[in-house]
Amino acid sequence: MANIIEVENIQKEFNRKPILKDVSFSIKEGSINGLLGPNGAGKTTIIRLLNGVINATDGDMKVMGLDPRKDGDEIRKRAGIVTESASLYHDMSAWDNLVFYSKIYNAYDPKRITQLLEQFEMLPFKDQLVGLFSTGMKKRISLAKALLHKPKILFLDEPTNGLDPEGISSVIHYLHKVNEEEKVTILICSHVLHQLEDLCDSYLFLKEGRIIEKGILRELEDKYLTDVRLLVETGLRPQEGSHYNGFAYEVKGTNKLEFLLDSKDEIAPLLRQILNDSWVHSSVIINRSLESIYFKIGGIDHE
Amino acid sequence: MNKTTITAIAEKDIRATFASKKIWMPMVILAVFLCIFFPAAFTYIGLHTELLNHSSEDLKKPIEQVIKNFSIEETRTTLAALPTIGEQVVYFFLNFMLTPFFLMAAIVNSMVTSSNSFAGEKERKTLESLLFSPLSVKDLFIGKVLASLIPTLLIVFSSFLLNFIVINLITYPFFKQILFLNTTWLILIFWVIPALVLFNILLNVLVSSKVKSFQEAQQFGGIMILPIVGILISQVTGLFFLSPFILLLIGGGFLLGNALLLKIITKLNDRNSLFESQIH
Repeated sequence: MANIIEVENIQKEFNRKPILKDVSFSIKEGSINGLLGPNGAGKTTIIRLLNGVINATDGDMKVMGLDPRKDGDEIRKRAGIVTESASLYHDMSAWDNLVFYSKIYNAYDPKRITQLLEQFEMLPFKDQLVGLFSTGMKKRISLAKALLHKPKILFLDEPTNGLDPEGISSVIHYLHKVNEEEKVTILICSHVLHQLEDLCDSYLFLKEGRIIEKGILRELEDKYLTDVRLLVETGLRPQEGSHYNGFAYEVKGTNKLEFLLDSKDEIAPLLRQILNDSWVHSSVIINRSLESIYFKIGGIDHE
Repeated sequence: MNKTTITAIAEKDIRATFASKKIWMPMVILAVFLCIFFPAAFTYIGLHTELLNHSSEDLKKPIEQVIKNFSIEETRTTLAALPTIGEQVVYFFLNFMLTPFFLMAAIVNSMVTSSNSFAGEKERKTLESLLFSPLSVKDLFIGKVLASLIPTLLIVFSSFLLNFIVINLITYPFFKQILFLNTTWLILIFWVIPALVLFNILLNVLVSSKVKSFQEAQQFGGIMILPIVGILISQVTGLFFLSPFILLLIGGGFLLGNALLLKIITKLNDRNSLFESQIH
C-alpha cells in the first residue's frame, strides 16, 4: 500500500509558542489510524495543517501527493472532516444541511444524500430539524456530511465526544463500514482509547507536540508489554497459595484465576496443564489494552 | 468565483432570515413604520384634520422662511401656492424630510443581517466546517454580502412601492401631482440606498469576520447610524438639501468606498488568518 499522507519534520508555533515539534509520520492508503494523545497535545493542529487551513512554521507535508500550503483547495475537495462540534445548522433539517454542504463541495446529488442517510440509518428523520436530534444522531449526520463528496481521506476529531456507549459503538461500526465499502483512509484523533482498540490498524502517540511512538498494536504490545496478565475462568483449585506449577496467580472471584506470565509463549503450556487438572471456559489477556500501552509509552522519558 | 457555492451560502442565509419570525418581523415592522405608517399618518392628519393649521402660529413663520429661501424655484412656487399651512407642511415633509427615514430603515435592516454573517457562523460552530471545505474565502464573502443585500433591498423597495401608493392615494386630491416620481427620489432609492446598503454590509461583514461575537459586531454596526442623523438634522434645519446632483455624488462616494472596502477585505482575510483569528 502506498502512503497517502507523508509528514516530515513539521513545526508549528502560535504566538511564538511551539505547538508541534519535529513531527514526522506517514499513513498508508486505505488504513484506519488513531492519533492519540492528551488534550492540548497538538492533535487538532495536525488535522488543520494537513487540510491547509493553517500553515506550518517549518517542515514538509504531502497529502495525496499534494502540498497543503499550495494545493489546499484540491486537498479539501478530496478530504472529508468531522470536527469536534457537529458543525451543522440546527435550524435546518438533516436533508437541507446535507444539500447545503453538498453544494459547498460541488457534489450535489440527491441519490448520494439518500444513500448516506440510509447507510447511517437516518433516512426516517431526514425532514426533522437537526437541533432536535440527540448527540449521536448529529454525529451520524456529521459523518454523512463528511462523505457527501466521496472523499479519499476522512479526518475525525474526537468523533465520540459526548456520545453514550451505544452511540460510540454505532459510530465505530459505521467507520468500519465506510472504510470497507468506500475504501476511505481514516485518521481519528482521540483521547478516549478503548474505543479505538478494535478500529485502528495503526497508532500515532502524540505528547506535548511530539510523536513519541507509532506502529501497529501488535508491535507496540511486543515492545511495551513485558509481562502478561491472563485471566482464566476455570474450575482449578491450586494447592499452593500463590503458585500453580511455577506460575504465579491470584484468585479473582469464583472460578477465576489471574496468572502473571513472563511472555505470551507461556500461555499455551499453562492452559495445557490446567486442562489436565480441570476445565477452562475462557482465558483473556487483561493488560493487552491500548490504554496500558498508552500509559507505558507516556511514562517513558523522550526528551 | 463559483456560482453554485455563492448561491448556496446566500440562499441558506436568506432562508434563515425569513424562517425566523424574530429576525424578519422587526425588519419589516421597522420599514413599515418608518416608511409607510408614519408618513401616511402624518399626511392624513395634516390634510384631513385641522391639527397642523391650529398650531399655525408656531409653524407659519419657519415654513414661510423656508419657502422664501428655498433654492429650487419650482418647489418654492408649488409650496407658496398651497392654500393651507397643513398642506405646505405635509408637502415639505414628504418631499424632503422623509429621505432619512428610508436611509434609516435600509441601514438598520442591513446591519441586522450582516453583523450576524460571520459571527453567527462562528457562534454556531459552522465556520470551521466552511473553512475546511473547498469553498474559497472570496466566495464565502460574496455569498454573505448577497445574503444581507437581497433581503434589505427587497424590504426597502417594497416599502417604497407601498409608500408611493398609499401616500399618493391620500395626497393626490390635494396636490394634483404624483409624489416621489421625481429624479431626487428615484436616485435616492435606486442609486444611493443600494450603494449605502452595500457599503454598510461590507463594513459589517468585515467587522463580523474580525470580532469574537455577534454582540460585538452589532456594537460596531451601530456607528453607521450617525451619518443618517446628520442628514436628518441638515434636512430639517435647511442646512443643505439633497439635490439630485448631491445624491449622485453621495452614491458614487459610497461605491468608491465599496471598492476600497473590498480590497481591504480580500487583503485581510485569507483562509489562514480567518481560521487563526476565528477558530479556537
